[in-house]
Amino acid sequence: MSFPTIEFAAFFLVVFVLSWALMPHPSAWRPFILAASYFFYGWVDWRWVLLLIGSSVVNTVAAQVIARSPSQATRKRALIAAVVFDLGLLAVFKYLGFFVSEMDSALDSIGLGSPLPLVQIVLPIGISFFTFQAISYVVDVYRGVTPATSLVDVAILQAFFPHLVAGPIVRANELLPQLRTPRDPRAVLAGPAIFMIVGGVLKKTVIADELARRVVDPVYNDPSAHSGAELTLAFYAFAGQIYCDFSGYTDMAIGLALLLGYQLPQNFNRPYLALSLRDFWRRWHMTLSRWLRDYLYIPLGGNRKGRLKTYRNLMLTMLLGGLWHGASWTFVLWGGLHGAGLSAERWARERFGGFHLHAWVAWLVTFHVVCIAWVFFRAPDLGTAFDVLGGLGLSGPSPLVTLPLVLLVVAAVGIQALPPGWWREAEAWFVARPVAAQGLAVGAVLVIADAAVGQQGVAPFIYYQF
Amino acid sequence: MPAGRVLGVIAIALAIAVLFNSEAMVRAGEGMQPGTTRDIVLSVARPIDDVAGAIGLHLPREGLDLAFGQEDKTASGTELEEGSTAILRRKTEQQAFRQPTVADPLKVLVTGDSQAEFLGQRLIDQAPEGLLDVTTVARNGTGLTNPAFFNWEINAEQEVADRNPDAVVMAIGDNDGFNVQTADGSLYDPGEEGWETEFARRVAVVASVLSGDGDRPVYWVPPPTARDPEFNDIYASQNRAAERAAQATSSLRYVDIYSTLNRGRYSDTLKIDGKQVLARQPDGVHFTREGAVAPVRLILAAMAEDYPALRGR
Repeated sequence: MSFPTIEFAAFFLVVFVLSWALMPHPSAWRPFILAASYFFYGWVDWRWVLLLIGSSVVNTVAAQVIARSPSQATRKRALIAAVVFDLGLLAVFKYLGFFVSEMDSALDSIGLGSPLPLVQIVLPIGISFFTFQAISYVVDVYRGVTPATSLVDVAILQAFFPHLVAGPIVRANELLPQLRTPRDPRAVLAGPAIFMIVGGVLKKTVIADELARRVVDPVYNDPSAHSGAELTLAFYAFAGQIYCDFSGYTDMAIGLALLLGYQLPQNFNRPYLALSLRDFWRRWHMTLSRWLRDYLYIPLGGNRKGRLKTYRNLMLTMLLGGLWHGASWTFVLWGGLHGAGLSAERWARERFGGFHLHAWVAWLVTFHVVCIAWVFFRAPDLGTAFDVLGGLGLSGPSPLVTLPLVLLVVAAVGIQALPPGWWREAEAWFVARPVAAQGLAVGAVLVIADAAVGQQGVAPFIYYQF
Repeated sequence: MPAGRVLGVIAIALAIAVLFNSEAMVRAGEGMQPGTTRDIVLSVARPIDDVAGAIGLHLPREGLDLAFGQEDKTASGTELEEGSTAILRRKTEQQAFRQPTVADPLKVLVTGDSQAEFLGQRLIDQAPEGLLDVTTVARNGTGLTNPAFFNWEINAEQEVADRNPDAVVMAIGDNDGFNVQTADGSLYDPGEEGWETEFARRVAVVASVLSGDGDRPVYWVPPPTARDPEFNDIYASQNRAAERAAQATSSLRYVDIYSTLNRGRYSDTLKIDGKQVLARQPDGVHFTREGAVAPVRLILAAMAEDYPALRGR
């Protein structure tokens, strides 16, 4: 079930009413919100719910063993077993097909034929997200950062529907304490919640889907049929599309959780204003960045084991971060570009410690490195990515390059430069209006959003496939 | 803000959205697969739409559609819904078409449902270089049996008027599990002979519009075999219908990927250029990007009958 649909609107209306009605009774609220989340997840295929339940059961048992066992060896074995199980889920559902196919090709290329049976596996939506959350939970219990908790709490942590499908990746110590405290029905943070939901809907429908339909998809389908000007427009347009698509989804997720009384962590902080790649990763998909940092980069040794190992750790972290997005060489290269960029920045900082680029130059370089990497993220294969990059300077007719589209691209990227104070003032103004006026305003936005997507409907969110 | 007030805001907002978007809501319901959700949505949306239409609440949305450049894809009384089967009794005439050159490539429109997406993409790299200028317009979730949701006759008129292609590849049928009503009011379910005849008629109607009454060839690609036996039977029926329509419609070419690929037996994999590739997506219907090469070569072979210059592969 996707957020901006009729089905979800009906579902959320019922959940909103029942959730607040049951809030004073935690013993009833918890099974209710869990059942609602499983209903949401199983809407397309109920078998995926079984997978989710299995993941919750295994990680709950492992965390209980870790919390209760006096033996360090047992604790460690339980941790390893849980992490292997979690990564095993990802390996089977996400990477097995890719691995077998690549092995088969490799064997074929050295004259051994195609001996491996190609496998067709359905990728459960959100598996990368709920698996990473499970790993962070058991590791945090092992580290003593969070106490082990009940199966129902772990299941809600993983399945809470606003963040289940595409994040934000929530940590146990961010959500579990909130689950233990009944929310106050007189103090719903409605202003920020409604603003985030409405903003998210507009970002997705009016900007992201329009850019995809009018320029990004046509160009990436056949780069050779487009001029350099059109390729350049698509080059920037995808940067705008993916930001508005993913941050739009996240805004809706955070807003919906807020309406139910729960705060999820922020995932974006104006990423295209970053002045370095390190800065970018502190602003883009922040919950994934900190996961990679805390559960991969630092355990690998971080920057504590010498310069070369620091570069190795950066590269490994970003390569695996790329692979997390999908089983494809394009994602590996995307991660590799970021890893190489981060390493280069680190080397430059150490080599030319006192020297700083002018902010505008730093921004320009960072933004374009990010955009170049996005080409590999968007392209269906490496050949298409190189066709896009190679064709940027070619001349030719450019019917796709129109003023409205250029302005839309500028808006998609430039929206982040608006002072945050404006947003907060608008929120405060909105909250001060009567209920009827607020409802009318939100309803009007929904009508506009629906008109923008037209009869083709809202395209699936990009991050649903991960 | 108290939760009760928030509920008020949500209720008013949804009421506004439903009232002013009632037509879109009906269309969304029409586009759903048959079942309880569809029945509920339509039973709520249709009466609201009647009321909203009567008091002029459609007007703001129509203005917004105009502002966003959205064209209406539905209409009542079209030939697709109400035409006669006489169209299936026409005589065909073989025509000759302008041959493509690198200096003047063939403008090909690849359209249809979601299956058209990868077919269009792979047609570009499988065709002899420079001879085809391919545009792909996939209308996901659409078919010929649900014109109340998306009328392909109307859409075909708009597409050929906008793009004026030299040839059209039409890949459609994945979503055509609905029953059909004929001009005399009879209702037929998939699997019935009347359904197949009506489907053939609808293919002929849309192909006739796409071809500009014979000015350009239309390569009709019904679905391939499906993993699900029920879908597979419907797809077989559609293939027979398309073949029948092609016999009666000038410039309509039936491309048989159903019985040609893997000799008509469903398989997740196909051997392409001596290498086994995963050819189908997990749904057991759609081609993967790699697998789409196989049907595209059959399409190119069909096109080469009209355009010998394309005989390169």
